[in-house]
Amino acid sequence: MERNWKCVSCGVELERKKAVFDYMGRSFSENLLKCPKCGKVLITSDLAAGRMREVEEMLEDK
Amino acid sequence: MQLNETTVFTEKCFNGEPASCSYACPFHLDIRSFLDKVKRGKWNAAYKEYRNAAVFPAIVAELCPEPCMHHCQRVQTGDEPIAMQAIEQALLKYAKAKKAESYQIPPKAGRIAVVGAGPAGLSCALNLANKKYQVTVFDKNSGWGGHLREHPKFSLFDEDITLQFAAVSVEFRFGTDVKSLDELADFNAIYVATGRGGTDFGLLPTWEKDLLTTAVPGVFMGGALCSMPLMESIAAGRAVSRTIEGYIQTGRAEHTHGDSLYDKAKCERYIAHPDALPSPLVQPASPDEGYSQKEAEAEASRCLSCDCDACMASCELLSHYRKKPHRMAVEAFSDANSVPPIGTRSMVRETYSCNNCGHCKSICPVDVDIGSLLQFARADSYASGSQITALHYYWLREMEFNIGEGAFSSAPPGRDSSSLAFFPGCQLGAYSPEHVLRSYEILSSEHDAGLILSCCGAPAYWAGDMKRFNEHADALRAEWDNMGRPELVFACSTCRQMFEKMLPEIKGVSLYSLLKSSPSISPVSPFPEVSIFDPCAARTDNEARLAVRDIVMSAGAAVSELSETGKCCGYGGNIKVANPSLYDTITEKRAGLSALPYVVYCANCREVFASRGKDCAHVLDVAFSLRPEPVATIEQKRRNTLMIKTKLMKDKWGKDFIPSSNPWDGISLNIPAELQKSLDQRLISESDIKETIWRSNSGGEKFTDNSGVVLCYMVTDVLTYWVEYKMLGDTYEISDAYTHRMKFRVEA
Repeated sequence: MERNWKCVSCGVELERKKAVFDYMGRSFSENLLKCPKCGKVLITSDLAAGRMREVEEMLEDK
Repeated sequence: MQLNETTVFTEKCFNGEPASCSYACPFHLDIRSFLDKVKRGKWNAAYKEYRNAAVFPAIVAELCPEPCMHHCQRVQTGDEPIAMQAIEQALLKYAKAKKAESYQIPPKAGRIAVVGAGPAGLSCALNLANKKYQVTVFDKNSGWGGHLREHPKFSLFDEDITLQFAAVSVEFRFGTDVKSLDELADFNAIYVATGRGGTDFGLLPTWEKDLLTTAVPGVFMGGALCSMPLMESIAAGRAVSRTIEGYIQTGRAEHTHGDSLYDKAKCERYIAHPDALPSPLVQPASPDEGYSQKEAEAEASRCLSCDCDACMASCELLSHYRKKPHRMAVEAFSDANSVPPIGTRSMVRETYSCNNCGHCKSICPVDVDIGSLLQFARADSYASGSQITALHYYWLREMEFNIGEGAFSSAPPGRDSSSLAFFPGCQLGAYSPEHVLRSYEILSSEHDAGLILSCCGAPAYWAGDMKRFNEHADALRAEWDNMGRPELVFACSTCRQMFEKMLPEIKGVSLYSLLKSSPSISPVSPFPEVSIFDPCAARTDNEARLAVRDIVMSAGAAVSELSETGKCCGYGGNIKVANPSLYDTITEKRAGLSALPYVVYCANCREVFASRGKDCAHVLDVAFSLRPEPVATIEQKRRNTLMIKTKLMKDKWGKDFIPSSNPWDGISLNIPAELQKSLDQRLISESDIKETIWRSNSGGEKFTDNSGVVLCYMVTDVLTYWVEYKMLGDTYEISDAYTHRMKFRVEA
C-alpha cells in the first residue's frame, strides 16, 4: 500500500508526475512521486537500490 | 590515446595462438584442432585440415621426423608424447573423402616455370595451380618424384601426387633438361628446385634463404638444391608460391601475411597442466597394421589442447567476464577514445572491478599484467575527466580526512630527526587504536622512531587519480625530508607497495620484523590452530611474511598454510561500490579457503574477513595478546583515527589537538544494530545522516507521511543522501538511509 506523502515546505500531497534525472551526461525520466508545487522528487529506498541503481550502472557502463 | 599504449600490456599473451607443437611443425599444422577432429571421429575434416597444411599427406605421414613430439606437453603427466605419425597413417586409411578440391576461381594471368618435379617443385606448382596460375613443370627424368623415385614406397607417393594434382591443370614436360634460364624467357617467374646437386644456373651463391630469391629478379630457388630438408622443402613450396604470386602482381618479392606469425622460438612457450590426469600411450592391438579407427581416436584424445588461459581460469574477475587479454587491451583503447554520449564503452565495469593484486601477472608464463592494463585505463579515464566519481567517492573522502584532520607527523619528541619513523597507515588504528598505540610505544622506547600518521595514497591510486596521488607523494616526501629522511616502519604491505611506487627513494622495514624480537611482547594466540592469510601486497614482502609466522608460532599456535596464496582478500582496488556482487564472490571464496581461523596482517584483509563473520585476528592481536575487536563502523573509524592523534600528540609531544566540530554534531540519533550493518555496507556514516537531517531542517528537503515518518534528503556533488526517521523526544529514530548517484531536477 502506498503511503500518503506530503511535501513539508509546501504542505501539499505528492502526485505521480514525470521526473527527470541527470547522470553521466545523459538524462532519463520516470513517473514518480513529486511535489506538484515546488517539484521536489521523493525517492524510496526500494527505488534507489533497485531500478535506479540499474539505470545508474547502465549509464556508467556506456 | 594510441592503440599500442594498451596492447603493449598484452602483446606477449599467446592465448588463442597455436600450441607449441604447431610452431615446431614444418607445416604449422594446427595440431590441436587436427587432433580434436580425429578425436571426434571427423576423419574427412581432419584429412582436409592435414592436406591443406602438408600438401602431400602420404609423403609427409610416412617421412616427417615429427619435431612436434619434442614439444608435446603430454609428458607433464609422465606419459609419452602423442603418437602423431601413427595417427597420420590412420588418417590415410580411415578418411574417405580424399578427392582433391577444385576451386571455382577465374584463371590468372601469369606463367610460372618450375624446374624440377621433386617434392619441392611439385609443392610450389600445386599451390600456384590451385590459384589458377599457368604452371609448367620441367624435369629431366621421365616422371615426377625427384629423389623419392628411389624410395621403396614410391608407388604410394606416386599415387598421392596423382591424387593431389587431379583437380588442377599443370603442364608437365618430362625428359626436358633445362640448360639455361634463357630457355624460360617467356615465363613471368621461375622456381628452381632441381634437387641435391642439381643445376643451379650459377645462382646458388646468390640464394637468399629468407624469401628464396636469387640475384635474378623473378627467379626463385629452394628445396634440396639449397640443402633444405625434405619436409621444409615441401612447406617452402607453399610459402614461395605466395611470394611468387606477390611478385607477379607487384613486381616485388616480399613477405606475405602470415609468414612472420610462425617464429620457431615460440615452440618453447609451454603452459602448465597441473590438473591433468596421466593417460598412457595407446598401443595398437595389431602393431603391424597400426591403429584401428577407435585406437587412433583414443590416442588423439590424449592431446591436452594446450591453450593458455591461466589468468582467466584463476582470477575471479577474468573468469567472470571471460574476455581474452588481447580483446581487453583493444577495448581499453576503444573505451578511452569513446566520446560520450555518442560513443559507447564496453569495459567500464571490468576496469573498476580489478583488485589490482598482481596475481594474473604472477601466474602468467610470459608475465602479462592485466591489472596494470586496467590500472592504466583507470588513470587514463581520470586524466580525461571521464571517470565515474561515485565508484571511489567514499575512499577519496576518507583519504582527504586521513591526510588532513587525521594526519600528524613528527620526529621523536624534542628531536628534529630520527633513524626510523612509524607509518601505521590509516586503517590499522581506525579499527584498533591499541595496535597503533602499543606499536609506537615499543618503537619509540626500543628504537629511535618518529611518527607519520597519514594515508599511503592507495585510494587515489586505485581511483586512477594520479594527480592527487603524485601531489600526496610530494607532500609526504617533504615531511620525510623534514624528519631527516628516516627509514619507514610499515604495518601494512599495501602502504609499503604504494611507497615503492610513489617514493622509491624511501627505504622501508616491516613492523613485524622489528616486533618479533622485542622483549616487550609476549604473544598469545586467540586460536590454537590458524591459517595465515598473506595479503596480496606481501607477495614480494618476504620479510613481513616470515616475521608474522615467527610471531604466530612463538604464541604456540599451529600454522596450517593455505593451499592458495597471493590473491587479494577482495578489498584491493576498492571495487566494492563498482561491483558489489563480484566483491561478495571474492571475499566469500577467500574466507572459505580454510575452515581454520585466519591470522592476517593487513587491516583491509582483517576488515573483509571480520565483516563476513570469519574468525580472524590481526597479528598484532597475537603479538600484544589482545582480543580481536569487533568490526568498527565507518564513524568509529574516524573517531579512532582522531583519538590516536589526540592521545599521541598529548602523551608524547605534550601538544593539544582539538578535532573540528560541525553544527550537526549535537543531533542525537538512534540507529538499530541491523540497520547500522547495512549503513556500513552502503558506506553511509552517522555524520552523513546528521548532516542530511540538519541541512533538510533548514532547507526544507523533507517529506512526511500520515504516520509522522519523515523522509529527508541532501544533495552533494556526487551523491544524494536520504534519511528516514521518526522523532522520539529529542532523538531521531532512524529507520533507513540510502544514497543514489543520479540527480533529479527540481522542477514543477
